[in-house]
Amino acid sequence: MLELVQLSRRFGDKLAVAGANLTFARGEMVGIIGRSGAGKSTLLRLINRLIEPSDGRVIADGTDVTALRGRELRAWRARTAMIFQQFNLVNRLDVLTNVLCGRLYHMSTARVLFKVFTPAERAMAVHVLDRLGITDIAMNRADALSGGQQQRVAIARALMQEPAMILADEPIASLDPMNAKIVMDALLDINQREGITVLTNLHTLDTARTYCQRIIGMSAGLIVFDGKPEALTDAVLRSIYGQSGDGQAVDEQLTSTSLPMLARPAVAR
Amino acid sequence: MTPAEIAAQRLRTPWAFGLNRRTLAIRWGIGLLAVVYLIYLHWLFEFGKVFSGLERLWVIVRLMVDWTGFAGWDHAELLQSMLETVAMAYLGSMLALLISFPLGFLGARNIIPARVFRFFARRMFDGMRGLDQLIWALVFVRAVGLGPIAGILAICVADTGVLSKLFAEAIENTDRKQVEGITSTGASFIGALRFGVLPQVLPVMISQTLYQIESNSREATILGLVGAGGIGLRLSERIQINAWDQVAYVIVLILITVALIDNLSRALRLRLIGIPSHR
Repeated sequence: MLELVQLSRRFGDKLAVAGANLTFARGEMVGIIGRSGAGKSTLLRLINRLIEPSDGRVIADGTDVTALRGRELRAWRARTAMIFQQFNLVNRLDVLTNVLCGRLYHMSTARVLFKVFTPAERAMAVHVLDRLGITDIAMNRADALSGGQQQRVAIARALMQEPAMILADEPIASLDPMNAKIVMDALLDINQREGITVLTNLHTLDTARTYCQRIIGMSAGLIVFDGKPEALTDAVLRSIYGQSGDGQAVDEQLTSTSLPMLARPAVAR
Repeated sequence: MTPAEIAAQRLRTPWAFGLNRRTLAIRWGIGLLAVVYLIYLHWLFEFGKVFSGLERLWVIVRLMVDWTGFAGWDHAELLQSMLETVAMAYLGSMLALLISFPLGFLGARNIIPARVFRFFARRMFDGMRGLDQLIWALVFVRAVGLGPIAGILAICVADTGVLSKLFAEAIENTDRKQVEGITSTGASFIGALRFGVLPQVLPVMISQTLYQIESNSREATILGLVGAGGIGLRLSERIQINAWDQVAYVIVLILITVALIDNLSRALRLRLIGIPSHR
């Protein structure tokens, strides 16, 4: 169980996240929607502590995450794997090494410095690559891959961390519809098979509706909606995305980048 | 389009039709004046002397191409000095690499946020770099005596300044996202440096060090002139006794060596860094 209590972050005089109070149960798949600049990225980074909160707390199973320091903080980061819009792989390293980086928390400084991975770690990496169907590109350099392949490598790195939770920051925003579906399907599969909690920022409304059992809407740093996809009415959407000039409701197709035929797996029907 | 239409358009959006004739004429006029002024400046410096010196230059060139005494030259000494110069350049650069590697990290803003510390590190690099190798060589010849050790130290100090600065800048220019990706896995600071920063800067480090070795093999010839060992000393001796045939020979030796090292370094760079893959 993960609790956010009055979690806030201020950049200059702008509140990126303003007093977020949220609770997540283990095994949930949650989509966070909102306009760009609404504070979605900041919220995820606050949970993973890549950004420090200005105020409020993150509590995981009774432990105050915001107070963690040093090795304990790194243990928390290892448990809450992060996936990024720009993949954030190390370009000049091959895919296998990028994936093995998911084990860095568990390695001694000497092994880190001399880049020594055990056969067990290597076997685990190949296993994870197999699962995501990218074993054949394991020895390619990360920057030689397509966006869809890079994001799958990033998911593989996240799985290597054996996380309790995956935080995905716009995982499909840089991908074409076909690859977007592959990546979202992979996240859903991880969520359903391993019971790993998935929190994902999405800018496409229909993707959120299709893949998530719970949707959180953010606007100007505030949580303005938290509920089931069915409860997302036009009025709610207007409060999340703001009113267009002529008072029309947000057209869902306008926020969509998916191929209609491909984007709906059986789960959603 | 009729001329009338063009004229109308020109009237409406004059900025789309380039500069008008008067502005153009003024700019050309200024340019011409500048050229005339430059020629006048050279006149002041007695440019004519070049022409009166041509005759002597011709004599030197004639002496240079006459290699009839080739068999009698001290080849062992010359080749050994040449090798000494290359060894100086190589050892000096490698020593500089060893010192610059940690210094580069200490001088980078994204590694050491403390401004005071970084300020002193950077000023130290500037100091080492600001003095030419030749000056350092003069200093070290006084300190450790004549010979290649002075040359190695001179190259090392000057290069440490250059390489540390370049390394620090390369480290500052690394892509933050890649490092964030490593940090997000729970890796330590050392882990983020090793797997996030180092892979990004390693090609720059290799490339710069190889370039320093190349450029030092050229410049180290001069260090000999002030007694810091190597082929430079032999060259200056032969210029002083007007042995122009041997001067030419030494120059050819230097050119061949530099070309060899350039090619070797290019091959190494390609092998170590690889051809960047394209999507």
